[in-house]
Amino acid sequence: MKKLFRPAAAVAVALVLAATPALAAKDVVFAVASTFTTTDPYDANDTLSQAMAKSFYEGLFGFDKDMKLIPVLAESYDVSKDGLVYTVKLKKGVKFHDGTDFKADAVKTNLDRVTNPDNKLKRYGLYNNNIAKVEAVDDYTARITLKTPFSPFIAQLAHPSTVMISPAALKQWGNKDIAFHPVGTGPFKFVEWKATDYLKVAKFDGYWKKGYPKVDTITWKPVVDNNSRAALMQTGEAHFTFPVPYELTDVLKAKPDLDVVAAPSIVLRYLSMNTQQKPFDNPKVRQAIAYAINKEALAKVAFNGYAAPAEGVAPQGVEYAYKQGPWPYDVAKAKALLAEAGYPNGFETELWSAYNHSTANKVTQFIQQQLQQVGIKTKITLLEAGQRVEKVESWQDPATAPVRLYYVGWSTSTGEADWALRPLLDGGSWPPRLFNTAYYKNPKVDADIKNAQLTTDSAEKAKLYKDAQETIWNDAPWAPLVTERLLSANNKKLSGVYVIPDASFNFTEIDLK
Amino acid sequence: MVQYIVKRLLGLLPTLLIVGLLVFLFVHLLPGDPARLAAGPDANPETVELVRKDLGLDRPLPAQFVRFVNGVLHWDFGRSLRTKRPVSEEIGERFMPTFWLTVWSMAWSVVFGMVIGVLSAVWRNRWPDRLGMTLAVSGISFPAFALGMVLMQVFSVQLGWLPTVGNDTWRHYLLPSLTLGAAVAAIMARFTRSSFVDILGEDYIRTARAKGLDEPHVVVKHGMRNALIPVVTMMGLQFGFLLGGSIVVEKVFNWPGLGRLLVDAVDMRDYPVIQALVLLFSLEFILINLIVDVLYGIINPVIRYR
Repeated sequence: MKKLFRPAAAVAVALVLAATPALAAKDVVFAVASTFTTTDPYDANDTLSQAMAKSFYEGLFGFDKDMKLIPVLAESYDVSKDGLVYTVKLKKGVKFHDGTDFKADAVKTNLDRVTNPDNKLKRYGLYNNNIAKVEAVDDYTARITLKTPFSPFIAQLAHPSTVMISPAALKQWGNKDIAFHPVGTGPFKFVEWKATDYLKVAKFDGYWKKGYPKVDTITWKPVVDNNSRAALMQTGEAHFTFPVPYELTDVLKAKPDLDVVAAPSIVLRYLSMNTQQKPFDNPKVRQAIAYAINKEALAKVAFNGYAAPAEGVAPQGVEYAYKQGPWPYDVAKAKALLAEAGYPNGFETELWSAYNHSTANKVTQFIQQQLQQVGIKTKITLLEAGQRVEKVESWQDPATAPVRLYYVGWSTSTGEADWALRPLLDGGSWPPRLFNTAYYKNPKVDADIKNAQLTTDSAEKAKLYKDAQETIWNDAPWAPLVTERLLSANNKKLSGVYVIPDASFNFTEIDLK
Repeated sequence: MVQYIVKRLLGLLPTLLIVGLLVFLFVHLLPGDPARLAAGPDANPETVELVRKDLGLDRPLPAQFVRFVNGVLHWDFGRSLRTKRPVSEEIGERFMPTFWLTVWSMAWSVVFGMVIGVLSAVWRNRWPDRLGMTLAVSGISFPAFALGMVLMQVFSVQLGWLPTVGNDTWRHYLLPSLTLGAAVAAIMARFTRSSFVDILGEDYIRTARAKGLDEPHVVVKHGMRNALIPVVTMMGLQFGFLLGGSIVVEKVFNWPGLGRLLVDAVDMRDYPVIQALVLLFSLEFILINLIVDVLYGIINPVIRYR
């Protein structure tokens, strides 16, 4: 550090900087919004770290840019009649970055690792409930036996945390240190991670998909400040950035060499209501609140138009999502329902937000103003992460839960209805177990979710999930608000980088002109 | 003098122990369960328990404190709950960028601030004073984040002269240190001015002038030394504050510094990092105070320490 301040060194550095604008190699820079927590997808809970890990890791299955489930390292799979045994045929000729071959033992090693509580991985809960055992039948066939039938299992294998880490590397580095030395089968191999500055990956020459990847390196650069990220795009120091804040879209659009893309998402924003507490135990009150909010205007005011009114309990794009809305905006109806429920003059209550950023601030203020129209007075609190955990997510006793109206969002990272409904609306998912912040419980819905897990028949599942979603919609434990659109910006020279609907990235086709 | 310094350094230990105990209790009083936060929104209770064990948060509080103190004595501050890297490494790689940024900001702002302060005092209530104090008030009033953004927009985006973010070369230091130093320069200017104005009214200044000494001599030789005492105190304070890392400047320029580390750590209830950082900041302040006291003695030989 010190020597950089000598004048000679300073001049030399300046000369080097001035002399390198020519693009000899294809080096791409991604500017992202927060620092990475880890490179180990089994130990990550943030979408961004998992998206970054896609540089060097691949799973048996994955999602394409439209979030359609596709096989990646798997060739095909079979399910036994009873829905308990999954036999997965693997692709041949796939190599890990350390030169070892990808075989069925890798599947066993990786799944055994995460289901072993001694390894204390953050994704333990996602797998442990259902995987009974994993066997390598032969080199290219893996057999996974479940404890109980679980029809969304393949979607779970496509979840960005289910990746194949080289068993040799796991052995060499151990359960913890593998996070600093990731070795996978992906298009790029890990080069360097400077936690404060960047994470760099470089083209893996032995990648199984011939002709890919089409660029030489990717540098993942966490830049926290929105304006600074936008500045990096304008100066050309970064080729791609996500997310772009609403207020900066016009600035970036005005630049001729930049594209601003608004992609559809499965990020659903809703207002949950504590159905165990008065007055929200009355479905009429809940419906009244859903009627009282103008979702169209909310999308315009708080999201600058980069959102659309929610069309169901699970957003479009999630498999088996059933379109029923948007919920109409009707103040007269809301007032009538409140009167019927015995609250002709409204009531006072708490309105909490799970986030304390400026968009959440606008959303809650808008809702407050809308509810005022029908006589409901609300007191807004924007919860900071620690408060949220204490007052909502880890509250032990449902009977005394202080949460009333709660503004929150959910992104269904498996892309399948089970993960859109079960954690949020199943009677067994009340906090602190999962995130049923409405404390909603309807035996019919619980049965539908359970039965859908047990069946492998797609038509039957669609029917069960439709029934569950209709029931929930009418019970209105939530006022569904909006589904967001995901704003990213990229340099026009860059192609093949997509923000997929769960706010992760797809960059298998990445190229730089 | 040496004896005095040794005495002060020994006195440092009980202070740090008390700070350590207070900060330990304080972070454990923060609302929110770090295991829950670390496990993330999708985790079920079994996973949260696993994470809790992994982080060592399942032990009783006194045991955790003993482990913390014992670790500190062995120069082991534990591992970050968030990244699982050793805390010493997390802090180590951010300390130098913050330190150099502080040094450069202080360097220009002290020189600039003192020159303006002296000029304003000498030409009190005339145009150099008005101009200087206008600059100083603007420096204090203009928020750092806005200044940082404007500078970046002009020099990096529009003119393309300087890089936007990062800390790799000396060019990266220009804008952040300018932003960070602006307020300090303003404070220094006002402090120097008021201190100088007082001194210039003293009897010995009049005597110096009366015996026919030329004005630059009077100001620099007789005025400067005496006016420096309060200015040095202020310098030490500002230096200490800047060493804590500036959250705003670090965010705007994506500077890998201590301020952002502290904010991230508080957000995630990253106990070991918060504890180590607060200890570090206390230590810095104690040392800076000691240096300032020693400087008093050098500037004004009348001050003696035993």
